[in-house]
This record gives sequence, structure tokens and C-alpha cells, in this order.
Amino acid sequence: MTSPADGRQRWLTLLGRRWVLIVLLVVVWWVLATLLRGIHTLSLSTATDTWFTALLRELTAVIRGNRTESPVFIYLFNPIRVGIEGFIDSIRAVISVPAPGNLIPLMGWLGTLAVIALIVYATSNLRTAALCTALLLGCLVLGMWTYTLDTLAMTLGAVALSLAIGLPLGVWAGLSDRVMAALRPGLDLAQILPTLVYLAPLALVFLIGVASATIATMVYSIPICIRITAHAIRSLRASPLEAATAMGSTRWQLLTKVQLPMARRTIILGINQTTLAALSFVVIAALIGAPGLGKPVVEALIIRDVGDGIVAGIAVVLLAIMLDRATTAAVVHTDEVLDMTEHQRRLRRIGLVVAGLATIAAIIASRYLMWAAVVPERLDIGEQVGRIAGTVVTWITTNLGFATTGLNEFITVTVLNPVEGILANAPWYLTVIMISVLAAIIGGRTAGLVAVCLLTAIVVIGLWNDTMITLAQVLLATVVVMVVGVVLGVLAGRSTRVERALKPLLDAGQTLPAFVYLVPVLALFGPTRFASIVCGVFYAAPVVVRVVADGVRGVPAEMVEAATSAGSTRTQIITKVQLPASRRSLMLGANQGLIFVLAVVVIGGFVGAGGLGYLVIVGQSKPELAGKGLAAGLAIVLLGIVLDRIAQSGGRSRPTGQDRWAPGH
Amino acid sequence: MPLPAARDWRAASVHNPSMSAAPTIRVEGLWKVFGPHPQRLVGSPDADLSRSELRTRTGCTVAVKDVTFDVAAGEVFVVMGLSGSGKSTLVRCLTRLVDPTAGRVWLGGEDIVAVGSSRLRHLRRTKFSMVFQHFGLLPHRRVIDNIAYALEVNGAARDVRHARAHEVIALVGLQGYEQAFPEQLSGGMQQRVGLARALAVDPEVLFLDEPFSALDPLIRRDMQTEVRRLHRDLGKTMVFITHDLAEAMKLGDRVAIMRDGAIVQIGTPEEIIAHPVDDYVADFTRDIPASHVLSLGTIARPLATGEQAAEVALPAATIVRDATATILAADGPIRVVDGTTEKGVVGATDVLRLISGEHR
Repeated sequence: MTSPADGRQRWLTLLGRRWVLIVLLVVVWWVLATLLRGIHTLSLSTATDTWFTALLRELTAVIRGNRTESPVFIYLFNPIRVGIEGFIDSIRAVISVPAPGNLIPLMGWLGTLAVIALIVYATSNLRTAALCTALLLGCLVLGMWTYTLDTLAMTLGAVALSLAIGLPLGVWAGLSDRVMAALRPGLDLAQILPTLVYLAPLALVFLIGVASATIATMVYSIPICIRITAHAIRSLRASPLEAATAMGSTRWQLLTKVQLPMARRTIILGINQTTLAALSFVVIAALIGAPGLGKPVVEALIIRDVGDGIVAGIAVVLLAIMLDRATTAAVVHTDEVLDMTEHQRRLRRIGLVVAGLATIAAIIASRYLMWAAVVPERLDIGEQVGRIAGTVVTWITTNLGFATTGLNEFITVTVLNPVEGILANAPWYLTVIMISVLAAIIGGRTAGLVAVCLLTAIVVIGLWNDTMITLAQVLLATVVVMVVGVVLGVLAGRSTRVERALKPLLDAGQTLPAFVYLVPVLALFGPTRFASIVCGVFYAAPVVVRVVADGVRGVPAEMVEAATSAGSTRTQIITKVQLPASRRSLMLGANQGLIFVLAVVVIGGFVGAGGLGYLVIVGQSKPELAGKGLAAGLAIVLLGIVLDRIAQSGGRSRPTGQDRWAPGH
Repeated sequence: MPLPAARDWRAASVHNPSMSAAPTIRVEGLWKVFGPHPQRLVGSPDADLSRSELRTRTGCTVAVKDVTFDVAAGEVFVVMGLSGSGKSTLVRCLTRLVDPTAGRVWLGGEDIVAVGSSRLRHLRRTKFSMVFQHFGLLPHRRVIDNIAYALEVNGAARDVRHARAHEVIALVGLQGYEQAFPEQLSGGMQQRVGLARALAVDPEVLFLDEPFSALDPLIRRDMQTEVRRLHRDLGKTMVFITHDLAEAMKLGDRVAIMRDGAIVQIGTPEEIIAHPVDDYVADFTRDIPASHVLSLGTIARPLATGEQAAEVALPAATIVRDATATILAADGPIRVVDGTTEKGVVGATDVLRLISGEHR
């Protein structure tokens, strides 16, 4: 038997050797890449087809041609499309889209506002209802009222459908291991699938429009709902279940009287996450014709008009906060009600009746009084806000341009270009071999094998060079994310003060749709690869900070106390105790960071970052490039799987539940 | 209760000699084996291997090994063992929370092991109930609805089940807490809810799985007294699982000691203290004050020559501790009688010897 100290010593030497090996390999790689620069890079102009992209293009043409003829379309896809469209449009008809010839939808703005406030009040409390009303009024004065309600209608509709599918499946997966095992591959894939990837195939089948956007949103949010619901059921304490069984409950009674009520809090939290995920996706789904706030954002990104984009972005943020607060308050509310006295209950009942009557009055007013029906123009300050934002950005770019442009150019020249040089401007076989060997060293033989196969597949479909351009950005952004994440995560894990200070930022980072901060980043750094890296960092850092902070906080207090009493300095405690002990969390953080970064860097293609994301987006808009777009989507997925496999190795067993429930865009 | 002298427990103590009525529970050859192909191990010589050896050889663990005993109506039967001895699995086999690998469990003439799931549910709702170590209360229900749960799943109307719940709430002293949620109560109070819940269906048998292990010592003592009082008032048959021998001695009419899944000794507390079947049991009992368990009859000796017995006589069943004052006050060893027969004498020196541990 070796003593634990011996074991640790050996482990350290092993790791040391592994690091030495990796560094050596990278040096060799760099030398070879420099020597063989520009040979066999497989670079391809955007318009050039490969055999594979040509095949895909012809396939899309065939699908387009069959839309009105093939029975699969007539009896399956088209009815689904019509059904979903009808469902969403019926919601929109109530709050956002006037019937032909009408001035307003079923209700004017005042009525809609009152109904939403009433619903929030009924499911939580008066304070939250007031806050939500204020946030919606904010969207209203920004001149984004109709867009906001369109987004709200899309989100609520998609959430309703997602919950209708996700909750039962989640409960089932929570109860049965077999169902969980059957669903797991799909859930895992959904987590590493960047959202941009499935927009095009869905649009191909369900056409550009509300239906595709809703289905894409569901594809994105259902796995989250299933995962959290199953986790909620699975993590219940065992003894009440055993007791209820011992008292003669049937399985149905056990489910409805014990398991669901006990899991209720977590399930509502799942609904919260599902809703926020749906909102962020609905914004992005503007790319395939979703109505709502995403539209002005996309338009602003296309014409690079920062002002309008920022106004819409603010409205998205307000809406996100509103949905988050409303659903979170519903969780808290379930606890509050339990503690209420009889008197408080009566007051609340009276309050609800009064609010209900006021809502009815507001609905009627909004149908007959002009000011309550159509948002009065003098309330609209959207234009002013847009102009101010535009002015601020212009001022920054002209006066601080030396800083932003300087940083941009510095990073691009000193880091990004060399990395891209090694990955993309070297012979493809060198890159494939080197990545695979590194994968095998870091992630084990399986990871190496996966890397060889999938990278070769990317070469075969002909998008090698673009993939490597994307990979360079992903790697760079991930390194920054990890540095930021570990530093802030350790700080937050060690000090509740830092944690409390960071919490609003982290919350915002996790609630905001990634699309939204593309606008200011684009304004500051222009349409460059650097801008997309910055976006990736912003999007992924909060998750990594959370995971690392959780890990550090999870280190047993005795361990830290023991190290302190052994005379360690603070740095020694961090480097010798807290970081090694939370190694699992660090690996998980790296994994999450990579996946999140990939998702956003791909979207960065939209703002001039090139690579696969750009191909996906042009593929969307130009039919002759449709094949290339689809192939680029496939390459993104393959790249994602390779990165996931490599980064996952350290974390070993796949974490479930909270750690990983928020996938990337 | 008459006190039997030393006896071979294997022959007699499986049944309670003092209770003539038909047993409420009869357990016959009960086995529970965890692992692949559990049936193969039942009754095989392999089952006698040590746990680790068995695990490496077959991948199985024998949690309950050929357990047989009877529990008479109204008796408190305690199963005592250290952690890992199989006692919790045993009680779960008796309630079919765990399905036994082999054997029979007769409860009032019905084999629990063989009944179908709907009959089993019926029995659970009406015939027996269970109290759990970690209480197992439903956190989202008020005390009263926790207690009424079994009645609710059995289809009782709301006012019927609440009326019954109020009865048992009064019984266990929970008045005033009906509307509280479990998390607002202390551990002791929570377990009172657990007890009330188990009593709500007026079961024939109460299974208690280490009900007080999670409680503080003082509260544990209160709860033990409470269980004694409930047993005296209601006369329920109880199967009580514990790892605490003092608790076993205090509560049990009879005690079964388990080790590695098998019962090593069954007997009254006094039999176990006075005649431990092997070193393992003897080791256990060493810390129990014998004067609290043994009766005068057990330690009575013949009058020595030249010794003068006192006039005072006490029944043989008197616990030594309760007789101490009388013995010390008497001017000589007192006489011990069983009805009309003289069993011998006990003097102050005998008591001191017993207390100082010399007796064993």
C-alpha cells in the first residue's frame, strides 16, 4: 500500500509531466506550422461549393419543391406549422396584433397591462406586480410596446407548449431510470448544440415565420424543462416517500400527494429557467422571422445603427427582468402563503377582488378610450433614448477610439492572428494530428479518437478552414473566460461580500439574451473578430464564475481550517487546498465556458467575425449558399462535440441538474 | 410476569412463553440478499462466509439471514443490533418496503410476503403502520394533514379523518400544533407527529425503526417514556428497532439481538443480561447496570449456614434496584418468594456485588 502522501506526490509528478508534454507539443506544433505556413490550408471562398455543400443545396431545393406535394409535408409538417401558427397568432390577436381593419388588438395597451399585473399579483404579491407594471411601462415609453408584446406572446406561447411536453416528460424521467437513460443523449446534445445551428433546418421544413421560430424555441427550452423537472423529482428526500409508501399510497397518490408537492419549488424554478431560455431564443429567432424585439435588434445589427438596436435591447432586458421576477416571486409566494394569518388572507382576497374589478374597467377603457387603446405618441421617448445612445457611442468611438481600437488591434495582432496562423494557415493534416494528440493527452484515448474522426469529417465536408477560424476565436475567448472566471470565482467563493456584489451582474449575465449585448460590443469594437470574442467572454464568464464559486464554497470548512492551523498563507490555501479540492468544478467550468463561448462566437459571425457563423447566416439569406450554411451548422456541431469531449474528461461523470442546465446560444 | 430461569433460548424464546394467545406476527425463515441471483444464497453454506468474502466471491450481501421469531399480541418486541446488522432491512421486510428473498411473515394469519399489491396497500392503510428514524413527515403538509394522510389515501372524508387526527393529537400531546408545518417543530415534536400518524389508523401492529436515534438524549428519554405510556394505554403490539441496548432493555418485553443479519439471541432483558449466549452479547451487555434489569429471583441464593434471614419478604419478580432500599433497611438478607415458594435470600452484599459488576 502506498500512503496518501506518496499518492499525491505521484499524481503531481504525473500532472507535471503531462503539462511538460503539452507545452513541448505546442512548441513543436508552432515550429512546424510556421515552417509549413500556407500549404494545404484548404481555404475556400464563400461562394465556392464542395461536393458536400452542393449535395446539401440540391437537397434543400428538393425539400422546397416538395413542400406542397410530399405527403410528409401535407399530413405532418404543414399541419404542425398551421397549428402552432394558429396558437401563437391567437395569443397575439389578444395583445399585440390588431385584426384586419381594427385599430387595436382585442385589448388596448391599458387593458393588457392591467391583465398582466393582475396575473402577477395573483401568483405572487402586490410588490412584484407593481415592479412588473413599471418594467412594462418602461418598454412602452421606449416606443417598443407592440414589439414587446409580440415577444411576450411568442415567449408565453412557446413556454406553454414547452411545458406541456417538458413537464410530463421530466416527471416521467424523474420517476424512471429507463426513461432518463433514453432521454439523456438528446438532453446532452441539446446542451452543446449552438442555437444558430438548428434555425436553418427548421426554417427549411416549417418555412420562415412564427411556426419555425416557436419550434426552434421549444427545441431549445424543452430540454431545460425536462432536466430540471427530473432533477426536482430525483433529489427528493427519501424518508417521506418511504413513509408515504408504508402508509399504503398508490403510485398515483404518491406522485400527486407527495412527490409533486415536495418538488414544487424546484419545478417552478424550472419554469423560470424555461421561460428565460425561451425569451432569449425568441429574440434570436428573429433571424427566421419571429416577430418582436429581435427584429429591430437584427435590423440594427445589419445596418449597424446602434441607437435603434440599443433601445430594443433595453426593452429585452426589461422584459427579461420582468419575466424572471414574476416567476421567481411565484416560488417565494408558495412559502409566503403558508405563513399567512387568517387576517392577511382576507386582506389578500379583498385585494384580488378589487384588482380584478380594476382590470375589467381597464380592459373596457382600453377598448373605448383612445388614450387607453393606442399608446399616446407623447409618451414615446424611444427616439430620444436612441439618439442619446448613438451620441454616446459616437463620442466613445471618436474620443476613446484609441483605447478600443488599440485593444482590438493589439489582441488581434499579438494573439489572435498567431493562433489563427497555427490552426488555419498550416496544413490541415498537421492541425488534425496535433489537436487529436492533445485531445488524447488531456481527455484520454476516447477523446483523441473522437477528435480524429470528427475533425476528418469536417475536412471531408470541406469547411476545414472556416472551422479553424472559428476555433481560434473560441480558444482565445475560453482562455480569457477561464482567467476571469477563476479569479472572480475564487473571490466570490471565499467572500460573501464579493459574492453579493457580483450577484446582480451574474444574474444579468445569465438572464440576458446573448444577442442583446452584441449591439453595444459591435458599437465599441466594430465588425471584427475581436468583437465576437468579447461577446463570448461576456456571455460565458458568469456561468464559469458561478461554477467555480460553488466549487470553492463546497470545499469542506474543516479542510480549510486544517490548512490554516498548519500555518498556510492565504495564497497557499487557495492554490494548495481550495483550487485542487474544487478541481471537478474547475473542469466543469472549463467545459461550460467552451460550450457557451462557441455558441456566442458563432453568432459573432453576424458582426463580421467570419468563420462558420458567417456561413450559417449568409446561408440563411441566400438560397444559392443554403448548402454551405447547413454544412457550416453541421461543422459547428462536430466542433462542439470535440470540444465537449476534451473538456469533459476532467469532470468525468456527467453532472446533472443545476450545474449544467443553461446551455448556450 | 414470571421470570424463567436460564434456558436454551433457541428452544423456547422464539415464542413468548408468557403469552398464550396466538402470535400476532410470526416470521419464518426470513432472508434478504442484495445482489445478483439472490435466491442462490438462501440456505447455502456460502451465506455463512464473512461479508467481505461473500461480496468478492458472489457480489451479494446477506442483509437478513434465516430469521425466525414470533411476536405475541400486545407485546413490545425489540430488535437490537449495531449498524449494518440488518435490523432496518428486517423491519422493511416485515412491511414489504423491501421484498424479502425468502421466508414468510404472518400477520394475523395472512402471509405478507405473498399478498398482492392492492391487498398490501389495504393492510398498510389499516393493519400496521411504521415510525421512521428520520420522521419521514411530508414537509408541504400541516401537522394535522400529515397525521391524516393514511386515512386520506384510504378515502376517508375530510372531517372524519380530521376528527380522528385530533384524537391522536391529544393522545401524543401535540395540541396547539395542528396547523404547524413539520419544519417549524423540534425533532422530538416531529417524532410525536410520526407517532401520531402511525397511531391514526388504529393499527394492530406498530413498527418503529430507530425512532429516537436522531433525537437528543434528554428528549430521547422523554419519548421512551411516552412510548411506554402509549403501550400501557393502548396495548398495541410493537416491533421496535434500535441500536441502543439500554433503550432495548427499557422498552422490550423481549429483545432479539442481531449480528450480521442473523439473530444471535432472543430473550427477556433479564435473560439476556443474566445469561448472554456468547461473548458478543456479553460484551454488549457489560455497560448495562444489571441492578436495573435483573430481578431478585435471578440473584437469590440459598441461606448460608449461620446466616439469619430478615422477616421481610419480596416477590421474586421485583427488580433489584427497586428492592435496594428495603434490603439495606433490613437487618439481614431478605427472603425472596415466588407466590408461596421460597426462592432464597438476597442481602446487602449481594446487591453491592451485583452493582460492582462482580456478579457476572
